Amino acid sequence: MNNVKIKSKNLNVYYGEKQALFDVNLDLNEKEVTALIGPSGCGKSTFIRCINRMNDVIDICKVSGNIEIDGVEINDKNLDVVSLRERVGMVFQKPNPFPKSIYDNISYGPKIHGKGETKSELDEIVENSLKKAALWEEVKDRLDEPGTGLSGGQQQRLCIARAISVNPEVILMDEPCSALDPIATAKIEELIDELKKTYTIVIVTHSMAQAVRVSQKTGFFHLGKLIEVGKTEKIFKNPDNKMTQDYITGRFG
Amino acid sequence: MSNEHTVKSYEEELRYLIDSVIKMGSLTESQLVDSMDAVIKVDKDSIDKIIKSDDEINKFRSKIDTQIMTLLVKRAPMAIDLRETISSLKISQDLERIGDLSKSNAKKVKPLPLDLPEELLGNLKRLGDLVIKQLNDVLDSYVNKNYDKAKEVWEKDEQVDDLTYIAMESVIDFLSKDKKNLDFSTHLIFATKNLERAGDHITNIAESICYLIKGEYLKGSRPKGKVIQQ
Repeated sequence: MNNVKIKSKNLNVYYGEKQALFDVNLDLNEKEVTALIGPSGCGKSTFIRCINRMNDVIDICKVSGNIEIDGVEINDKNLDVVSLRERVGMVFQKPNPFPKSIYDNISYGPKIHGKGETKSELDEIVENSLKKAALWEEVKDRLDEPGTGLSGGQQQRLCIARAISVNPEVILMDEPCSALDPIATAKIEELIDELKKTYTIVIVTHSMAQAVRVSQKTGFFHLGKLIEVGKTEKIFKNPDNKMTQDYITGRFG
Repeated sequence: MSNEHTVKSYEEELRYLIDSVIKMGSLTESQLVDSMDAVIKVDKDSIDKIIKSDDEINKFRSKIDTQIMTLLVKRAPMAIDLRETISSLKISQDLERIGDLSKSNAKKVKPLPLDLPEELLGNLKRLGDLVIKQLNDVLDSYVNKNYDKAKEVWEKDEQVDDLTYIAMESVIDFLSKDKKNLDFSTHLIFATKNLERAGDHITNIAESICYLIKGEYLKGSRPKGKVIQQ
């Protein structure tokens, strides 16, 4: 088993009076894919948003407990959130390219993080990122065209390319295929398989089959609690917890 | 399963699959009883009926295969449902093989003389009765999802081995007394061996049931009784 990259300890999250996460203790391994599953509103997206402190932008959100990346607490007030988000990239449910050219979508991040000072350095970053996101061959001749003109699946790969352009260590994916057709989904899953060799990936998904296909570890959340976590194969063949079994077999509610 | 699927038709499809396996098991058991009866009573009139009943069992096997394919495609079963589906496939394969062995034994009745020695038949009957009981118990453990009972069947196969050894010895003893017995003694040796093999399929079923219930395979190797030299 790989080293632990991210460690949450007694993590609690509140949106005003409402508690969204309860004492979540979860270890995420380096260069592995961890899938988080559970019904809507169970806290899985809230959890991944803690990893890059996206919850900071919500005024009423309060976080207690710890999240460590490589043993360093990220909830530290003195921590530079911008550099944290450089290390922890994110891809969302709906592809959200900037209303800019394909080239600019990728080069924007490196520029603001001070990477790629010359045009040729940026060109190299753009090409490498698009290649890693398996999009280069499809767009190399139209890099100046708007990113929003690409198909849904291509847009999502563009967003993945954008996330990896700043050379992160972790990629968070919040239902990255829910708006895509099966072929585009297959391409993203294939990509995830490749990306896990370099990055630690956390994916939130409503598709059990996708969790089985892409992840090595799966955590099941329900009502803000982490009910069970374990090897994906074990969770989907023989989970220990009855609630997990009821959820994955469709016996819930 | 303690509670039902949100999708009722999924629940029905799984129930239907389990029912098919139970029915196939019941048919296989009847066929084994009938073939054993035919051998012990040297009842040549029942041979055709037993052979025909194997067709029914084979039909069930095809039906179960189709049901499983549909379930896999439609529902992509997970966890207990996946284990239920896969064990149905394996159990139905073993039941079909037991059916084939019963049919094979029924066919062996034809050349048997009506005056076989009682001791010979007695040993064969004891073996047959145990195999029938093993099949009955394993099917019972499937219906009631009883792990301990399935494991007990698995362990008890040692006794099937022992009784096979005894039955085989008595056939060989009978054969050695008079070379004229060679022809039908060979049939009896094969019939004995078939019962032992049916016993092995029953232990496979027991293993599938244990995996179905607990999600892990029985550990260690199965206790073995005396083994006949091939």
